[in-house]
Amino acid sequence: MHATIQKPIDEIIGYLEPGEKVFIVGCDNCAAKCHSGGEPETEEMAERLKKKGVNVVGWCVPQPKGISLCKLSNTKKVLQEEYGEETKQADSFLILACGQGIHTVMDATDGEMVHPGCDTIFGGETVTDDFITEFCSLCGDCIVEDTGGLCPVTLCAKSLLNGPCGGAKDGKCEVDRTRDCGWQLIYDRLKALGKLDKMEKYVPPKNNSRWSRPRSLTMAGKEATFRSLAGDCTISRQD
Amino acid sequence: MSKLREKLESGKFVVTGEIGPPKGANIDVCLHDAEILRDYTTAINVTDLQSAVLRIGSLAVSSKLVERHLEPIYQLTCRDRNRLALQSDLLSAWALGIENVLCLTGDHPIMGDHTEAKPVYDFDSVQLLKAASTLNQGHDVSGHELDSSPGFFLGAVVTPGAEPLEPQIIKMKKKIEAGAKFFQTQAIYEPDKFESFIKQVERFNVPVIAGIVILKSAAMARFMNDNVAGITVPENIIGEMSETPKEDRKKKAVEITARIIRQVRPLCQGVHIMPLGWDELVPDIIKESEAQ
Ligand code: SF4
Ligand code: SF4
Repeated sequence: MHATIQKPIDEIIGYLEPGEKVFIVGCDNCAAKCHSGGEPETEEMAERLKKKGVNVVGWCVPQPKGISLCKLSNTKKVLQEEYGEETKQADSFLILACGQGIHTVMDATDGEMVHPGCDTIFGGETVTDDFITEFCSLCGDCIVEDTGGLCPVTLCAKSLLNGPCGGAKDGKCEVDRTRDCGWQLIYDRLKALGKLDKMEKYVPPKNNSRWSRPRSLTMAGKEATFRSLAGDCTISRQD
Repeated sequence: MSKLREKLESGKFVVTGEIGPPKGANIDVCLHDAEILRDYTTAINVTDLQSAVLRIGSLAVSSKLVERHLEPIYQLTCRDRNRLALQSDLLSAWALGIENVLCLTGDHPIMGDHTEAKPVYDFDSVQLLKAASTLNQGHDVSGHELDSSPGFFLGAVVTPGAEPLEPQIIKMKKKIEAGAKFFQTQAIYEPDKFESFIKQVERFNVPVIAGIVILKSAAMARFMNDNVAGITVPENIIGEMSETPKEDRKKKAVEITARIIRQVRPLCQGVHIMPLGWDELVPDIIKESEAQ
């Protein structure tokens, strides 16, 4: 999931011209889980902005329940048909969702003006209803087979691939003593699994061209093609 | 050929020192520090933006040492350079007459004075060692041939006091496989603990140079104990320091440091003295410890 946190309200107001008519869009998937752009937060944002004198012409969180704002076909239908009346009046759209959602609304409205209502902060696991944390940095070249499923790119503050830096103290990272050292976690896990020999293997440098941006994925039949600066990588599900 | 390599390969005990390039445009002070070390050390480490604080670069200062017929150990960290810059700086170093390179991960920018800097870490220290070894063999890390190759003598670091120690030893072995020919360690204050570390790494047959940080005060000892991983200054040493009147501290520092050197000497192939500004004590320490 894409974790997001709302921007300060005054920053959002600063984006708007005097009298600008705004339509607010939330997301029922990730932003709902982050309490940054689900139904309650989107409705609340409409009220908060109105109180501060902003001209809010409407709001919605595209349904059905749990659907992502970044599913373009659905968002387009909702914004253009279900909420067509309100969205037609709007000068701009305020998006309470991640950066992908912002772009989806741009596409769904055929290029209308958009404003970011959130900062998109990371991709994470929803550990509990009120705690989300990061375990993957979306690098495009996964190496966790050798680390017991724990990602050193993400869990080690220096993204070291071949073991700890020597700065951990009492299992905590030298960069932030309140956080676990990622390599301590990997070591403990491999040891518990009886697979410490995996740590002895040299891990070559990452192929950062697979971490280039922007990247895309195309699906066709039993094939998927990942496009990055590393070139097209097509994987077949035939065999 | 590098004198450091020559001595270590022939089994001689070495003393290395360390200077930190200044924060400013004038390198006279650190060259002066290097001069103090001239007669007492085989080679001198030049730190690379130590503690992630902006300073003059280690490449420039290492090159200045070469000009003065002093032998540098050029420290190179992965914090600020991607693989192109790392390899290019290595080739530049060779062209400037630098042979010894200490390959390090580097302190994170958040520890220094440019906390908003983008940390690079395109390579880690093991990958950097491997890259330097690859250059030695006439190729870059992408497999392209070089028109001539360097002949670096490569070193790395290890923290003998790390807890747990096992991951450090696993990484040490990987560093050796990647080309490390010597190790310098985190500061040692407990010779018996160091001995048990040495017993575990003897089988690697790679020279270990024990890190020696001159202890300036009891407060410094307590600070390191609380904040620096792998360093424990024992209470009796802290006591010795705190009982010493301020004017006698330097004398005491010489005594303690020389004693630790004498204790670790039979266990390893050299000592690496980090004076942290008390460079003028190094000659007395060396004489008193009979390290040379
Ligand atoms: S290695 Fe890359 S893809 Fe795998 S978990 Fe880490 S960041 Fe994600
Ligand atoms: S202490 Fe651990 S998590 Fe932190 S930078 Fe070092 S190895 Fe990485």
